[in-house]
Order: sequence, then structure tokens, then C-alpha cells
Amino acid sequence: MRGVRLEGVGLEKRFGRVAALRGVDLEVRPGESLAVLGANGAGKSTLLRILAGLSRPSAGRFEAHLADAADPLSRERLRGHVGYVGHASLLYGELTARENLAFAARLHGAGTTDDALDSILGPLGLLDVADRRAGTFSRGMTQRLAIARAIVHDPDVLLLDEPFTGLDEVSARRLSGRLGALRERGHSLVLITHDPRRAIELAERGLVLHRGRVRARLSAGADFELEALREILARLGREEEADRAA
Amino acid sequence: MRVALALLWKDLVTEWRSRDRLVAMVVFSILVVVVFQFAWPALEPDEMRRLASGVLWVTYVFAAVIGLGRSFAMELENDAMTALALAPGTRGWIFLGKAAATWLLIGLVQALTAVVFALFFRQDLLPGAAGLALVAGLADVGICSVGTLLSAMSVRSRFRDVLLPVLLIPTLIPVLGAATRASAATLAGDSPPWDALQPLIVTSAIYTILGFLLFDFVLDE
Repeated sequence: MRGVRLEGVGLEKRFGRVAALRGVDLEVRPGESLAVLGANGAGKSTLLRILAGLSRPSAGRFEAHLADAADPLSRERLRGHVGYVGHASLLYGELTARENLAFAARLHGAGTTDDALDSILGPLGLLDVADRRAGTFSRGMTQRLAIARAIVHDPDVLLLDEPFTGLDEVSARRLSGRLGALRERGHSLVLITHDPRRAIELAERGLVLHRGRVRARLSAGADFELEALREILARLGREEEADRAA
Repeated sequence: MRVALALLWKDLVTEWRSRDRLVAMVVFSILVVVVFQFAWPALEPDEMRRLASGVLWVTYVFAAVIGLGRSFAMELENDAMTALALAPGTRGWIFLGKAAATWLLIGLVQALTAVVFALFFRQDLLPGAAGLALVAGLADVGICSVGTLLSAMSVRSRFRDVLLPVLLIPTLIPVLGAATRASAATLAGDSPPWDALQPLIVTSAIYTILGFLLFDFVLDE
């Protein structure tokens, strides 16, 4: 089992007068996978950026602990244990796939030998295009390279912000398989998605956010199944429409 | 240090392949020299020699503003700035890597500008070239340090194209004053005076240390 536990208590985040998160509690234990669902503007990406150490909560407490340590990790050290896939690819179009990966590895102090990089590019099906510039890649290839960049330093926790957006079914299935393999290897996953199917496929637990608040917590073996999830999301959608109409 | 070297390598490779920053700076610098040529068409070489330092530094500063503005704008494409912010450890090394890459590019542009200036105004800059390079190198440390910090701060603003020069140029006054004086002495065939080099060294050192320490907050949301 790999080793970082993330814990947020009463997390709030404000951007001026707009509250993006309001009192969110969550815990991600080592090796666990959590899906975060919700409509646009629910606060999912804001939450993920706090978990990545990219943003500080306006109120509440966020801590990350190594499995066997009492003291929390500093944000500087946390960033070394986290891999992050955002809405954008975080890649440089002028660099080749291999150079992008080597650059990310250098930032994280990871190995940059051809063998080390090939061992990441290979399983993602990018070995044949390793020396092509990332700017020439299709959406699916770009997304796989973004995943490669995020795991180049073998992080304990992988944070994924809607990684399936814009992918066709074949590419999405391939990516899903790769993420499943990472989970099997003991990486914790926090997956933001609009797609309840992907959430059930890749996560053990679910967290549904609505307007910055947690509206549902779903656990494996109990209520974390497709119909329940669809019902919750549909109910929140109806609430949203009713509020708009009012 | 490894992070700074990685940034330096990345910036130089991407610049070599796109050349957008370098070309913009070089073309702009040549145009400024041409404009000065039109402004003073009948100036004798001896008179021009007295003005050379000022002309060169006006050109250098505006070219630097262009280069510094682009320095972080390219990190916005594909939100690569987030990837930099995710690097573990002290973010000051990211600052140093970016500043070093800009220092090299600006130095190259300044050398080319000096050649173009010498040709247009029939000046022999060779005797003072080493002194001018020393002064420019020192001044560029200050320009790139404070410029990199301000570029990162302003890049997410809608008004970044205006904001950067408005913030940068006033902070460069001590650097420019000393650099112009030291360059004038060099171009007149003397050694750069210590009382001009000293403020260059001190100001550049202060800006570099401040940039290193403050960069962590700049990359935060």
C-alpha cells in the first residue's frame, strides 16, 4: 500500500464574494479511490486544486499525512507526492512527448533516462510518437501524455479533473483501463467526472458536490451504484432548474 | 538548482524552436535604432557617441519589456504554469531558471542591437565592447529579476500588456541610471566607474533575492 492520506475539514474557498466551497469534509485514505461528481460550478475543480497543494482554503483545515507519520506534510512536500491532470494538458507544444516527460521528471527530481521515460510512455501507447512534438498530437494522445506527465514521478495520489472530456469511446476506454491499472498498483485516485459510469468503474466511493456543499456521500457495497448516482444527479439538476426559474 | 536548470533548458529549447520572442525583440530593437536614425539624420559621429549610451539603453529596456512579457505568456498555453506551480520544493528555483533564460535572450538581442547601432550611426564600439558587455550583463540581472517577478504577477491580468511596463519601468530607474552612466564612460574609452557599477551590483542582488523569496506567493492563487 502506498502512503499518503488526505484530510479536509470544513474546507471553504472564496473568490471575492463568490463562495466556491462551503464547509466540505473529506478523507482519502492511502490506496483509495474517490469520485467527485456534480454540475458545473459545484466546486469540484477548486477542491482538487486544494488537494494538489495549488491553492489554500479560505477557511477550514487541509492536511496530508504520510501513512506512518503523525506530522502533516508541508505543501512544498505534498506537491512531490501528487500527480495532477487538469482541464488543460499542462504540456509544451514545442517539446516532443519525451522532452515534455523529461522536463516534468526534472522538476520532480525523478529519473530522466530513456528507459525510465519509455516505461511510462509504453503502457500509454505513446512510444511510437515519443519524438513527435506534443503540439501535433490528437486530443486522445494529448490526454494520455498529460497522464504520463502526471505519473512520471510515481506519485502516491493521482488527481484527475475530468480526464475523459473530449475523448472518443475507444480512447476513453483505453484511458480508463490505464487508470484502473494505476489504482491496482496502489495509487490513490481522486477523479472528477460528470460521467457516473466512469465514477463507478474507477472509484470505491463517491462525493457529490452542489454549489460548494457536499450533498451526498456514497460508499462501495452500499449506495455507490449507477442508478443511485444518476438519481442524485438528476434530483440536483431539477433543484438547479427550479432555483433558476424562481 | 536542478529545477532552475530544467527551466533554463526548457525555455531555451522552446525559444529555439518557435523563435517568437527572439524575433520580436530583435525586430523591435532594429526599428527603434532606425527611428533614432530618422530623428537625428545629420548628427555627426562624435555627437552621436555622447548620445550612444542613452539610445542603447532606451532600446534595451523596451526590447526587454517585450521579452519579459512573453516569458510567462507562453506558460499560459495549455496552463503549463500550473505544472510549474506543482513542482515540489522552493519555487524560487523556478524564478531563477526563468530569469536566467531571459537574461541569455536579452543579452543576445543587446549584442545584435549594438552591432546594428554601430552600423547605422558609424560608431566603433569594439574598444568599449568588453566594458559594455560587463555593464549590460550586470544591469540585465536586475532587469530580468524584477521583470520575471512582475511578469509572473501580471500575466493572468487582462491588462498584462500595459501592466508590465507600468510596473517594471519605474522599478528599473536605479538600474538604468547606473547602467547609462557606466556605459557612457565605457563608450568614451574609459573603464566603467565603480560608483556606477556599485549600485548596479547592489540593486541587481536585491532584486534577485526578493524575486527568489517572493516567487512562492506569486505562483499561488
